[in-house]
Amino acid sequence: MESRGRRRVWLLGALLLFAAGAVLMFTGQGDTAPAPEKDVEFPRRMRSQDHARAEKRRTWVMPAAVDAGVAAPVKPRDPLLAALPRGPGRTAVVIEANALRYSPVGELLMDCLLRDGGKNLEQFKALSGVDPLQDLDRLVVTDEGVILSGDFSKAKYQELLGERVASDHGPGARVYEPGDTTFTLPDGGTQRGRMDTAVGTWNNQMLVFGKSPDSVKTVLDRMDGRGQEDGPPLLDENSTYGEMYGVLAVQTLAKLLGPDQAELAQRLTDVAQNVELHLDTSGDVAMVANVTGLDADKMTDLGKSLGGALSMARMKAQTEGKEDLAQLLDFAKVRPDGTSFKLELAVPLATLQEQLAWCREERQAAERAKTSP
Amino acid sequence: MKSPVFVIAGYVLREAASRKFILAFMVGLTLVLATVALSLKLEVVDGALAATRLFGEVMRSNIMSVDVALRPIYRAAAYLVFYGGILFGIVACSDFAPGLLSPGRIEHLLALPLQRWHLLAGTFLGVMTLALGGTVYAAGGLTLIFGVKAGYWTMGPLIAGGLACVGFAAVYAVMLTTATLVRSAALCSAAGFVLLVGGILAGFRQDVSRYLESGFGRTAFDAVTLVLPRLSALATRAADLASSTPLEKGSLGMLLGGVLVFGLGALSVGFWHFEGKDC
Repeated sequence: MESRGRRRVWLLGALLLFAAGAVLMFTGQGDTAPAPEKDVEFPRRMRSQDHARAEKRRTWVMPAAVDAGVAAPVKPRDPLLAALPRGPGRTAVVIEANALRYSPVGELLMDCLLRDGGKNLEQFKALSGVDPLQDLDRLVVTDEGVILSGDFSKAKYQELLGERVASDHGPGARVYEPGDTTFTLPDGGTQRGRMDTAVGTWNNQMLVFGKSPDSVKTVLDRMDGRGQEDGPPLLDENSTYGEMYGVLAVQTLAKLLGPDQAELAQRLTDVAQNVELHLDTSGDVAMVANVTGLDADKMTDLGKSLGGALSMARMKAQTEGKEDLAQLLDFAKVRPDGTSFKLELAVPLATLQEQLAWCREERQAAERAKTSP
Repeated sequence: MKSPVFVIAGYVLREAASRKFILAFMVGLTLVLATVALSLKLEVVDGALAATRLFGEVMRSNIMSVDVALRPIYRAAAYLVFYGGILFGIVACSDFAPGLLSPGRIEHLLALPLQRWHLLAGTFLGVMTLALGGTVYAAGGLTLIFGVKAGYWTMGPLIAGGLACVGFAAVYAVMLTTATLVRSAALCSAAGFVLLVGGILAGFRQDVSRYLESGFGRTAFDAVTLVLPRLSALATRAADLASSTPLEKGSLGMLLGGVLVFGLGALSVGFWHFEGKDC
């Protein structure tokens, strides 16, 4: 009898335990699909959209060199890439203005650019005839100056540059020397100013800004195949991926690092030759830097130092409770490969949004002020 | 006076110690840990794993934070301890209970001043002590090796080992209950395997259910897997803990408690059946 009673307790207990277990497991795991793991897409190679973009830009057929009366067939190419500097120790960084503009980071930058409610932009459009948000496709910063590409057919060259000494430089190209400029203000008045940069125009597709007319002519000559420099352009078509990409001379990069990173800057200039950068801004900002040098051992040591610095930054983010940043720094890594290494690094979009929040506030305030009577 | 449960547990442990293949397993585990300890050389610079040498050969690897670099190893180890441990436990411990309940021995045990459920509880405790010892040895050894080599210390693998033990507890409780029904080591193992597979499916019940035709089949699957211990979900969390990655949404405590309570429920069924069994 006692045994039967105990058995009943065991059975009842078992049923209750199974029910409790089911409830606990259901509550503990739930039936919702797990959140997707945070992932960052690093720009490591050309994607299909990059290939399509590059193909569309092959519009320029360079004048062929005629040899013994037979002209070799020339493939069309991207005129902007042809205009880039050549040889080691040079810098050229391409910003895909149009792609960047429509990325999350671009939205943030737009807030900063239009924080006066778009007044300056409107003024610029009225003065130049160019709408940077529509007409500008790419912006290239080189150690010689700046190149802009896009649709400049509506640009008011005559009004802006008419007073300067100008000369034609090959088919479709014109070079304006530094000189005085008169701006017509929106109220109808005029304002005189002086620009110390030389400007080159090319087929309403490109604007070249340089320190001197010669530097502008050098850029235009490269496009027409009349350049004096040897070797291919700094960037070839297969390296045109990401929203920002280019090659930085280590000296330039060292200067950018600032005084608090003097030791790292010195090591970079001692060991590395150049750095190829690719930035993806389609979500969080992901960067891949391919650093090349001559000495494999020294490059490995430099890679280790950078890896250590990234690890320390991650630990710091963890201790400061910056989980988002720490999580993205999980992806930070250095991939050594003989005399070069690849550095991969990501910055959370949330961090940038936090840093640039003031731009949005100022823009909204300016827009409210503009619309209020 | 010693509790009869502990007496039986001690008996099971002595039985295990006399088994050559359990000893061989422990020796094998020791050899693996010793080989890893002696052949692996890690170079850590400012908290980043800068270089790895295995048997003197430089391994091509990325330079990154040491804990991030070791994550895949800890993750793999956690899954190995979890599933490997359960599988080994199913095979190694399948004949403890049938042996204990075999004719001749059971009469002797029942003549002792103990209740029937003591016998099962003692066997369960003995086997779980064995499982816990093995897990602590494997996970602790790994933690110690990487802690000394890389200067990165984490309790993650040990906690993951603990979760694996809870998973095995649920499986072994079913095996023990099966032993009260049939005195067959093979059938005990089979029950363990079936529960392991069921537990893996239960962890992915939402995903699996989606692929089933709606109707009785799906409803039955949903009902059964609602009760089964969600072993794969526990294994995933064990791996997350071992590799110090953020846990999936939900409460680990609830999940763990649920699996443990299922085990106790299965054990209660065993007690219920064994109490009324005519040995």
